Amino acid sequence: MKRLFLTLVCAFFAATGLHAVPDGEVAARRTALDIAGAFTNDGFKLRDGNWSGSFAPGKPGIVQVNLYAGNQYWFTLGATSPAKKVHVTIYDETGKPVKTDEYQDTSVAAAGFSPDNSGTFYVEVEIVEGAAADFCLVYSYK
Amino acid sequence: MIWKLRPLAGCLAFVCLCASAAADATPLTPAEMAAAARTDGISIPMPGEFMAALNKLGKIDWAAKFRLPIGTNYTSRPQMALNLGGLIADGYIAVEAQDAPQVKNIGRDVISLAAALGVSKEVTKRSSSIETFAEKGQWDQLKEELEATQNEVKQAMIDAKDQDLVTLVSVGGWLRGMDVISGQIAAHYTELGGKLLRQPGIIEFLNEHLDKLQDKARDDASVRMVRKKMADIQKLVAFPLDKAATAEQVKELNVITAEALREISKKQK
Repeated sequence: MKRLFLTLVCAFFAATGLHAVPDGEVAARRTALDIAGAFTNDGFKLRDGNWSGSFAPGKPGIVQVNLYAGNQYWFTLGATSPAKKVHVTIYDETGKPVKTDEYQDTSVAAAGFSPDNSGTFYVEVEIVEGAAADFCLVYSYK
Repeated sequence: MIWKLRPLAGCLAFVCLCASAAADATPLTPAEMAAAARTDGISIPMPGEFMAALNKLGKIDWAAKFRLPIGTNYTSRPQMALNLGGLIADGYIAVEAQDAPQVKNIGRDVISLAAALGVSKEVTKRSSSIETFAEKGQWDQLKEELEATQNEVKQAMIDAKDQDLVTLVSVGGWLRGMDVISGQIAAHYTELGGKLLRQPGIIEFLNEHLDKLQDKARDDASVRMVRKKMADIQKLVAFPLDKAATAEQVKELNVITAEALREISKKQK
């Protein structure tokens, strides 16, 4: 487990060094990975990849993902400190919100669920309280 | 600091879970869905995710899914990229089969193709850890290493302003994964298995990117063939939400993907 986390951190710093990711996104990614790492204790595998950027109150970000029925997923969002409370919402391919388990703690939030059907889903990340910030979304599956 | 916080994070994550009131959220509009971001890094699942889902349908003899070694000395870069994607998917299959010698053999072929494409540095630096994990039977770590290798190869291609190759690696890998999984489901058909093959978002994403290839890549014989096959595949994996692919459709899908892979691995004249 330590090895996994160390690998993630090393890969993260190597990647940020090579590809000049903005400092805010680096911090947001670190926050997201810290929480997502906890899910590995429950057998979840962290997907090597992320979606990063900036968002502001009233201006959420939405990304399309493709998931498989039978798997369980956790989407974890980390944001920089101007965001005081953030939230993750998952929608199915018709745009209808999906019922999820949730974790929320200031600038970190996660949503977990197991899709009934394989296909396209949308993940919305938003600031509930606070100011514009950088964010990073990662996901885990098992 | 991170190490100190981690146990706390672990506790929080699992103690503070609460059921979501999903109905509170307003549905997305078609415009919002159309404007959603789509990136190779998060919108396209890794082969391991597909295999994790397939493993839930029953015990699978992954070693029976190996294919004969393919060539690694192609002259066309698009064809190399397609085969590199397929080989990386072979690596995931070898890991599922927990076959260390096969992992090493595939690793060597991946390095050969990556070298020909000018991205061997990214693979070579991970090859020793891949071999070590394989020798020690650390399969979970090996899967993570494979994912990281795949993403680093793609990032190197992006850095070299060769997005076309990224698309072709993704397509090659997806085709090989689909070949194996459709073969498994065709041989042991269940409606649940048929539903697993529903992938409208992925095929649309890949086909859109194939359409955007530069002329030089698009004119390559292997790419022309793949675009045609991918158009046929789209009809078979983009079925309605409440349906499942029929046994006949799964077999057809398996035939098309197997043909595509055979053609990709043939040397061009």
